[in-house]
Amino acid sequence: MVLAVTETIQDVHNDFALSLEMAKEGGQKVVGCLCSYSPTELILAAGAIPVGLCGSTQEPITKAEEILSPDQCPKVKATYGRAVAGTCPIFPLADCVIAETTCDGRKKMYELLEREVPMSIMDLPQKPETPAALNHWIEEVRQTKSFLEQQLGVTITDDDLRSAIVMGNKRRKLITDLYYCRIHNPGPINGLEFINTMSKLQYYTDFDQHIATLEKFYSELQQLIEEKHYAHSADQPRILWTGLGNSLGCSKVLELVEECGGVVVCQEGCGGLTRSEDQIVLGENEDPIVAIAKRYLRVTCACMTPNSQRFDDLERLCREFKIDGVIDLAWQFCQPFEIESYRVKELVKDKLGLPFLHVVTDYSQSDTEQLRIRVEGFMERIATRKKYADRRL
Amino acid sequence: MNSGGKKYFAGIDAGSRTTKVVLLNGDSSFVSAIRPTGLNVGETAEKVLAEALVAASAQTHDIQRIVGTGYGRVSLSCADTTVTELSCHALGANCISPDIRMVIDIGGQDSKVIHLDQDGNMVDFIMNDKCAAGTGKFLEMVARTLEMDMDNLSDIHFKGERPCQINSMCVVFVESEIISLIARGESAADIVSGVNHAFANRIGNMAKRLGLKQQCVLTGGVAKNRGLKDALTMYLRTSLTPLGIDPQLNGALGAAVLAQRLSH
Repeated sequence: MVLAVTETIQDVHNDFALSLEMAKEGGQKVVGCLCSYSPTELILAAGAIPVGLCGSTQEPITKAEEILSPDQCPKVKATYGRAVAGTCPIFPLADCVIAETTCDGRKKMYELLEREVPMSIMDLPQKPETPAALNHWIEEVRQTKSFLEQQLGVTITDDDLRSAIVMGNKRRKLITDLYYCRIHNPGPINGLEFINTMSKLQYYTDFDQHIATLEKFYSELQQLIEEKHYAHSADQPRILWTGLGNSLGCSKVLELVEECGGVVVCQEGCGGLTRSEDQIVLGENEDPIVAIAKRYLRVTCACMTPNSQRFDDLERLCREFKIDGVIDLAWQFCQPFEIESYRVKELVKDKLGLPFLHVVTDYSQSDTEQLRIRVEGFMERIATRKKYADRRL
Repeated sequence: MNSGGKKYFAGIDAGSRTTKVVLLNGDSSFVSAIRPTGLNVGETAEKVLAEALVAASAQTHDIQRIVGTGYGRVSLSCADTTVTELSCHALGANCISPDIRMVIDIGGQDSKVIHLDQDGNMVDFIMNDKCAAGTGKFLEMVARTLEMDMDNLSDIHFKGERPCQINSMCVVFVESEIISLIARGESAADIVSGVNHAFANRIGNMAKRLGLKQQCVLTGGVAKNRGLKDALTMYLRTSLTPLGIDPQLNGALGAAVLAQRLSH
């Protein structure tokens, strides 16, 4: 059964490293990605395996702090640590890595990471709605295509790119459908199990098999809904998660939320629904590179300004998923998401009238009890609101 | 006096530094007890509860319901219900006056600002991040560095003529900052006054981030520092509503109010 995730993230990484090694022995190449802005279609078109290498565990941070100052976000430190600590079995298998100039911490860390592995660091324009931004980004995507051709010793044709677009869209559509299974109330799966499963499923060496597994997971959830086998009841507070991520082994706040009676039914932002629902639209006679570039420039990270689309998405998702409260998480020292949280609060609290909780934390467990008070208080706030007016959006 | 039925509602606030018990009588009068929490939260709570019962000339079976709150709430095996201190502070303040809309609570290890409605429901809150800046612990460190007790910290504030600029809100670094101010010849009064102003700005900004409301009360042990209260009033440009009870008891009072509400 796809549904049960019993392994730790380390087990998942170890298992995946084994299958990657086998694929490499069979002549396949592996390309690391560090962010939602990495155009994975380029990698698929090159016949290589895309692998997410973003750091989401505490373990490699100590090693990273030998070089990086402790006052950096845990994601920057953990990502760098994965490369230099020698504890990540996947990182050494990457033939090269694609990265983008998102936030300052990442950008500067990449200058050091580049010493460990060949990288294409794409210059990401940060006012994506301006016309010049797209043209610049298209050139960056083209350059990364050339980088991959050179590194992997292949030629990427337009037909390769068109096929890769079809593949990427198919994958995104399935992931989006999976997210939307959670619109059902009561629901077939709780938030923790869902993100654990999704984290595990993001690793694949064989694309068709990956699609088959996603389809299987989808039909399992559908079957649970049909058979009325629910993981949570209809009256549990429905929480929308926004900001920074949750993944297997990096979910302490989500665990607290669900321990305190809530259920995280929707994830917006890093690793969330809005990263999968936006498809590549390839116009007739359109250069596939342009179509790919357009899609990836629409990703709504807080490193962009003014990042208005994120707020439209949040408002829509709060209504669609019948949300009772919103949690916005920023990793410590993440300036973009911390500052943008003020506007998220304005939207959620003032415009939508929903309880809102901003959480700043890191990957360690040191603040669990302080966080518990906030989360419990947030649940009490939601319970009062539901009691007084059982009015939803 | 109702001799037959159980007539007391108990609130236990097991805070990080002190444990407070309030026994609320049906007629809204109450007795209280307080002592340092120490290492054994459950044991301390039972001792403080016993003290309160002695003060009320009552016995355990006179208590109808116990609500526990505070950091140690999970260790309170005697509690019938537990709830966060965020909700309890709202209920406590509401019991004092239904007009109160905002509570600023500065405890031993955290500080929080709470909005409440006319029924005492907590409707929003904000808390300090995980370091001890802006908490009672910070003032304890300042008092220790200046070799004063906490009462002095309150009194000497008003003797400051030119409050020093204090930049560090960190419990660790404020010690070295104060030592360098002493070395520069600054008076203790100016240093204390500077500390209270810096502290008030930090707490005041937290309150502003959540949104200022009229009818605000200051609670928690730090509310006993009149110097800080004065500095906070100046920074917020609003008067603080007098609480009328020991500000450390507000959370326990709220818990007792909840015990009463749940019994009806």
